[in-house]
Amino acid sequence: MASDPADLAVLLGQIAAGDRAAFRALYDLQAPRLYAVAMRIVRQGPLASDAVHDALLQVWRNAGRFDLARGNPEAWLVSLVRYRALDIARRRGREVPDDDLPEAIDEDPNPLERLASSRDAAALRGCLGQLEEDRRRLVLMAFVDGLTHNEAAERLKLPLGTVKSWIRRSLQSLRLCLEGAA
Amino acid sequence: MSGTGPEIPEELHILAGEYVLGALDAAEMRAVRGRARTDAALAAAIAAWERRLAPLAGVVAPQAPPPALWDRLERAIAEVPPEDIAEPRPRPVPVLPRPTAEVLPLVPRQPPPRRKLWPWQLTTAAALALAAGIAVVAFVPQVALRLNLAPEAPRIAALLPTDGKITGGFIAQIRADGSVVLAALPAVAVPSGRDLELWVLRPGEKVPASLGVLPAGGKRVVLPGLPADGTKLLVSVEQPGGSPSGLPTGPVVYAGAVGQLSL
Repeated sequence: MASDPADLAVLLGQIAAGDRAAFRALYDLQAPRLYAVAMRIVRQGPLASDAVHDALLQVWRNAGRFDLARGNPEAWLVSLVRYRALDIARRRGREVPDDDLPEAIDEDPNPLERLASSRDAAALRGCLGQLEEDRRRLVLMAFVDGLTHNEAAERLKLPLGTVKSWIRRSLQSLRLCLEGAA
Repeated sequence: MSGTGPEIPEELHILAGEYVLGALDAAEMRAVRGRARTDAALAAAIAAWERRLAPLAGVVAPQAPPPALWDRLERAIAEVPPEDIAEPRPRPVPVLPRPTAEVLPLVPRQPPPRRKLWPWQLTTAAALALAAGIAVVAFVPQVALRLNLAPEAPRIAALLPTDGKITGGFIAQIRADGSVVLAALPAVAVPSGRDLELWVLRPGEKVPASLGVLPAGGKRVVLPGLPADGTKLLVSVEQPGGSPSGLPTGPVVYAGAVGQLSL
């Protein structure tokens, strides 16, 4: 599922030079994933399209500024789309009630199995696996659905303070685990 | 404590993690984003979390976007060249690699508008022309007249300096017969013992074609076929008589794109 970061890097280089065919290739490679990521956060097709549109236009404009030595191209694309989607979701509010949503992650017995087999993903899967199950689920839900502390507390019917401290501690142990693995 | 950032305090790591995770509300997100612009440690912590968490996007099953999304993007990128919102960065006059120039630094690095490059270049050209006042009219009465009087929007290219230290420029008027009249703006300076050479780079092409040596006062050239909007005209500094290789070898000192004049 995940495309080769080296391919993406090559495409970004061509896009920086104004190569529209390379931009189309990047779109074909990444749009389905990015659209799905945005859709989970904004929950409406037209808004997800807006998020992907804005993010990819930013890629078109700024591909030349992407620093391969510092960043992973896939992480860059995902981040651009997620921030746009999060901004849209925060601004518009979520107009679709939670009940109407596919709870793919909650239903999936082991969503982490779907993680790509790259080295980064493997490390992340290993470190997430060390979290207690309810905290792991919270972290996944926050990331995938872009839930704020408040929204996550409502959805999981947990006190806000609990959600905040679970996220804090999960982030702490994830970081230590991932840096130890690196 | 170990690894990527021993100097980053734990609280900053957590704040950055919450931000990347998406756990913050709108006001908190804005605050973090604003702070990260000036706080390098926070920016680094955010970048690190983006890398760490990005694989999580893989847990969502891909979903085909509506075809209209690509149509919209295609229209959008046709209007915006790459890097057009880059903040002005001082950069040296770009030197082209030899013998094959694959990628050309084309766009003048002045503070650009957000979306439309060409009209901006054109209005800048107009502003330049206004600023230069009578000098321009004296230089190129014919072009100045046509800019004012042409019944339909004329197509021109403003070839502006690629570097703030370079003065002068050219206004290229595209005529219906495919000829291009280049008029110099004050003050085009040619390095001693060198010639300027004019190049055309059509949309979608990566390698420019030579249009011959360009005298400092301008000239008229005939192109094979009318140049489409977005066609770039470049001027490089070459050895006397022009580049021996058929590709630019010296720095590109002026560049601009063909577009409709809209005042």
